Amino acid sequence: MKKALFLTSLLALSALSQPVLAEDLKIGLATAQTGGLAPYDAPVIEGVNIAVDEINAAGGIDGKYKIDLIDKDVRSDAAQTSIATQELVDQQVSVLVLPCDADPALAAISIVAAAEIPAISTCASSPTLPLVGGDYMFANFPGDNVQATVSAEWAWGEGYKSAYIIYSPDAQYTTLPLYFKEVFGKLGGDILGEDTYSIGQQDFSAIATRIAALDPQPDVIMTAAFEPDFPSLLKALRAAGVKSQMIGSDGIDSPTTFSLGDVVEGTVFTTAGFATEGSPMEAFNKKYKEVTGKETQTVFNAVGYDLIKVIEAAVKEAGSTDPKALRDAIANLENVQGATSLITYKGTNGMPVRQVSLVRVTGGDRELIGQPSPTADLVPAPRMQ
Amino acid sequence: MELLLQQTVNAIALGGTYALLALGLAVVFSIMGLINFAHGELMTIAGYVLMYCGLAGVPFAIAAALAIGAAMLAAVLMEMIAFRPVRNASGETMLVTSFAVSMVLQVLFQNFIAARSQPVLLPQLLSDSISLFGLVIGVNKIAAIVATIVMLAFLDWFMRKQKHGIAMRAAAEDFAVARLMGIRANTVISAAFALSGLLAGVAAVLWVSQRASVDPLMGFAPVLKAFIAAILGGLGSLRGAVAGGFVLGFIEIYLAAFLPSDMQEFREPIGLGIVVFIMLFRPNGLIPAASLKAEKV
Repeated sequence: MKKALFLTSLLALSALSQPVLAEDLKIGLATAQTGGLAPYDAPVIEGVNIAVDEINAAGGIDGKYKIDLIDKDVRSDAAQTSIATQELVDQQVSVLVLPCDADPALAAISIVAAAEIPAISTCASSPTLPLVGGDYMFANFPGDNVQATVSAEWAWGEGYKSAYIIYSPDAQYTTLPLYFKEVFGKLGGDILGEDTYSIGQQDFSAIATRIAALDPQPDVIMTAAFEPDFPSLLKALRAAGVKSQMIGSDGIDSPTTFSLGDVVEGTVFTTAGFATEGSPMEAFNKKYKEVTGKETQTVFNAVGYDLIKVIEAAVKEAGSTDPKALRDAIANLENVQGATSLITYKGTNGMPVRQVSLVRVTGGDRELIGQPSPTADLVPAPRMQ
Repeated sequence: MELLLQQTVNAIALGGTYALLALGLAVVFSIMGLINFAHGELMTIAGYVLMYCGLAGVPFAIAAALAIGAAMLAAVLMEMIAFRPVRNASGETMLVTSFAVSMVLQVLFQNFIAARSQPVLLPQLLSDSISLFGLVIGVNKIAAIVATIVMLAFLDWFMRKQKHGIAMRAAAEDFAVARLMGIRANTVISAAFALSGLLAGVAAVLWVSQRASVDPLMGFAPVLKAFIAAILGGLGSLRGAVAGGFVLGFIEIYLAAFLPSDMQEFREPIGLGIVVFIMLFRPNGLIPAASLKAEKV
């Protein structure tokens, strides 16, 4: 009994010692600032900070809720992600932000679900994420199945009839070419073959030699490999004499890709946004330059801005910082104007409806091909790997 | 037939790179009994030098030389700062020290250079390919093969003819007796690290010229391959390291080339399974070092 009394008084004390910040919105960032996912999470968090500073300078969301970011580095590690998430839950955050890849984000799932705090992955694009993650898990990027539909429809429209896919079973994201295969097949295209690789694989010469020996050559080669794998793969293919059209996805929207010179020329990829003239993304890029003093190098900066805009809209909608109310608000958001696109969660399972931009590498820079909407019937169902 | 030849060229190029990496580990192990897991960070350092040289517009040939020099210097400093104080400690202490050095360097790269991977500007030539006897061979493959041959020839000469090389062989055989003969421990060990830095630097130039980017953690994968190759060849044996590197390269490429496509997913476990299988019959490695007296039980 004594013990129970002691415990309750201790609890009461600790509750008292917590500063009462009813008007602050606490956002817990459990993202990868170091390690393999840092190339994606680090720029997203830059964008997050720009948006938060902008909102706080204007007096907070709705002039009421200032945003308080609590930042933790999860080092691209699944176990570390769940530890950091637990720490943030203990600090009573209202919203959690999880790493870019579905796998570490999923490591935090049981904690997120039990704490009933909405969690948004910075830029995971696997449509299986909210399926596995449940009601409290949201994504912030066009889904892999949607991106693959856009690129497959483009390839078919360009008159390409045959394709070869190279994917890795190591992560959800790198299996994106399997969606491409499905859509391209439905459209009537031939899949000449497929190859697998391991993430971090240095040498692609065996695959390149096999593809170079194919007769006829595939019209397009589709992969979701990202650096350092993508440059190695591309260089190996070109060195082996393969001249097929390369199609990639958002993972190669990085400075390395644009510094590869002739080998990368003409490569086409899908991504989350493009700074067309007068677009919100152009405005964001200007703002980014004002704040940081350098040009933005990747779309992931703008994606971070989007993330905070979504949270802002949800807080306005819910009129509170209660995690449950915020979850319901996010799930019903429609046409939130982000930096890259309009974002809608209503009617989805947590994988937002967003615009997909199709970009070609031209002269070491981005060239917009278009921002087509995929044919809804063609979009494949999420597939568990 | 042509496909087989083409894949064999690929295997030689990859095996050569693995051989250089494994040699770098073996040179140090043969003398100190230390498996230097910070060997990969020497490659990362060389990679960053390449990156900065590219940004500064330094011609690639000079950049490569600077990168190799930086790796050698870093290796010698690494020995002086981190390994010299624990030289007489147990093997485990040195192993843990090498992990610590590796992590400290990774964090320094992350905090002072960038957590994100950085593009390395490379000459167009390295992405080209030429036709030779009906085979299409990438210039970077040829560079890898030539670099391996040159390095192996140099190492062979160095170990047989050069004073420091002979001293290193003596030290590898019996350090105590070598010291009694008047060989200075510090010089021999510094030379071994410089040599391993040289090998890491050359391997790094080849490695980075394929992937075109450097990141703080990039040293881990190659050092792991080198470790497997060195064990396969026979720890501490230089010839063994070369053999192990080539065998590993051949296993990886041939599996990737000729395994049926529905088995490709299991390529790596199968490859490592073959390595284990070889070790069952040659538990001391392919060409064991005289000093390593592991026994089959």
